Amino acid sequence: MSVLYLPEPLRTRIASWVSAGYPLETCGLLIGRQNGAGVTVSETIAARNLNRERAQDRFELDPEAFIEADRQARDAGLELVGVWHSHPDHPPRPSATDRSFAWEGWSYLILSVDSKGVEDMRSWRLADDDFVEEAILP
Amino acid sequence: MTVHIRIPMPLRGYTAGADEVQVSAATVGEALAALGAAHDGILGRILSAEGEVRQFVNIYLGNRNVRTLGGLATPVAADDVISIVPAVAGGAPTAKDARLAQLKATVPELMPQQALALQAQGAALVDVREADEIAQGSPPGAYRLGRGYLELRIEEAVPDMNRTVVTMCNGGVRSLFAAEDLQRLGYRNVHSMAGGFSRWKNEGLPVEIPRQLDRQARERYSRHLLMPEVGEAGQLKLLESRVLLIGAGGLGSPAALYLAAAGVGTLGLVDHDVVDRSNLQRQILHTDARVGTSKVASARQSLEALNPGVKVQSHEARLTSANVEQTFSGYDLVVDGSDNFPTRYLVNDACVKLGLPDIYGAVYRFEGQVSVFWPGYPQRRGPCYRCLYSEPPPPEFAPSCAEAGVLGVLPGVIGLLQATEAIKILLKLGDPLVGRLLLYDALRADFHELAVAPNPACRYCGTPGSVPDYVDYEHFCASTTA
Repeated sequence: MSVLYLPEPLRTRIASWVSAGYPLETCGLLIGRQNGAGVTVSETIAARNLNRERAQDRFELDPEAFIEADRQARDAGLELVGVWHSHPDHPPRPSATDRSFAWEGWSYLILSVDSKGVEDMRSWRLADDDFVEEAILP
Repeated sequence: MTVHIRIPMPLRGYTAGADEVQVSAATVGEALAALGAAHDGILGRILSAEGEVRQFVNIYLGNRNVRTLGGLATPVAADDVISIVPAVAGGAPTAKDARLAQLKATVPELMPQQALALQAQGAALVDVREADEIAQGSPPGAYRLGRGYLELRIEEAVPDMNRTVVTMCNGGVRSLFAAEDLQRLGYRNVHSMAGGFSRWKNEGLPVEIPRQLDRQARERYSRHLLMPEVGEAGQLKLLESRVLLIGAGGLGSPAALYLAAAGVGTLGLVDHDVVDRSNLQRQILHTDARVGTSKVASARQSLEALNPGVKVQSHEARLTSANVEQTFSGYDLVVDGSDNFPTRYLVNDACVKLGLPDIYGAVYRFEGQVSVFWPGYPQRRGPCYRCLYSEPPPPEFAPSCAEAGVLGVLPGVIGLLQATEAIKILLKLGDPLVGRLLLYDALRADFHELAVAPNPACRYCGTPGSVPDYVDYEHFCASTTA
């Protein structure tokens, strides 16, 4: 099992974005470094959800945010290592839509959120067309 | 011109880990082609077979999407930066996924083996699949209620809300929905069988091919099938039933036609007479063209024309003490449409002896009567015909139709009341006319009911199992005096 190292302050930050966005689905990117032991996240970015019609259960990350985050990462000698998004009122498991849009090599952090706040978060990686869960450590 | 192409991490497998590749090109398209030439396979992830940018990818020149510029023909300048931006999208589970997750949280699931074990302990296994799926096989003893009418039919099949219920479908999804519906109806212990019938079958658990109506029968009896009181099981029961009609005359005609239409599988007809033109005023089984031919043969022709699925058995003979038991054997009940007392007593005596319900009807001018003589009725001890009339009336008190006349429609009313009682008894529906004599007065348009108590001292039905031998009924009826 691979590992996503997500320091507590970053975790709290994503959770606050996700809660503030509820009941809409929110998304963003993870910046950090990938090495043999896993992925270490050192920065998190919130991005616009371009899917306005179904913002409660779909997301489409703004490509400009992607370019900007990519630039930011390169400037810091880091890279984009993953994507985070919320599942309002649903468990943090990848949906069929998530699977069809997923790319190998990234971590997919999913946070389940309801009116009371973030309930759970899990991270997944695509391997042979299937999501495999990875551990989240601080 | 040298341009820089930024490679996102998911595509770096093609560039030996490089996050940027430099190529020489004049347009974005040329730059991508050069990238593809240098790194085998990568282009397939970016462009479609037609050379269009794939749906899941965006190509940016600087901070502008090339789609908003000149597409792949967009010219590039020295040191321009081309970014391959994977579409980053996703979403929460579909409504269906979410609903299933919710159902799985509230409905306990169990494996086919466990379902079988529970069924053996008295649980109700409810097959909610469609009829055509059930036709391929179903667990023995399962209630095949389907999904569409489940809520309407379950209480009849499983009246006890505390009884354990296991729902099953083909794969274990529809049964979750069904189980939840049953929980809502008030069933306290409902499970859904995971994996459904396909897993049940794969595990080698018992399967039977249930008897079912074919498509034509389903169409013909559709109005019965809509009634939960009849339904498929009831219709199959009717098709397996055997009813004997005494007389293919005024009472027997409407009764036989409607019983055939209803799908009573075997109809026996006892009559030794031929069709007379004077019969046609009321005996609607027969036709003018068949005057002079055998009544039984004429009746068979009409019934087979109405419902070819019904088997008509001809008993073209006068019913006598000698042949009565052989004639009655194999039938579920007898509809007595006879017009004479010797036959009525003979039918009664044989029915008492054989334990058959005797559905009695009689007509006279504007009046008719109907009852069910069935001492063996399981719900209450009923009388026999002899409890009501221990002896026949003198002939002058009981003129026949031939002597007194009868309103032509009257046997229609009474014969159909007899047919209705027959269907009720065959399907165990409602309350039959056991111990009740229903009188109909057509002129007053009045139905009137008399209670008929069994006579404990009746020589025929008073002591079960000791029915006197058949007598000479012609003599018995001719010799009585008022």
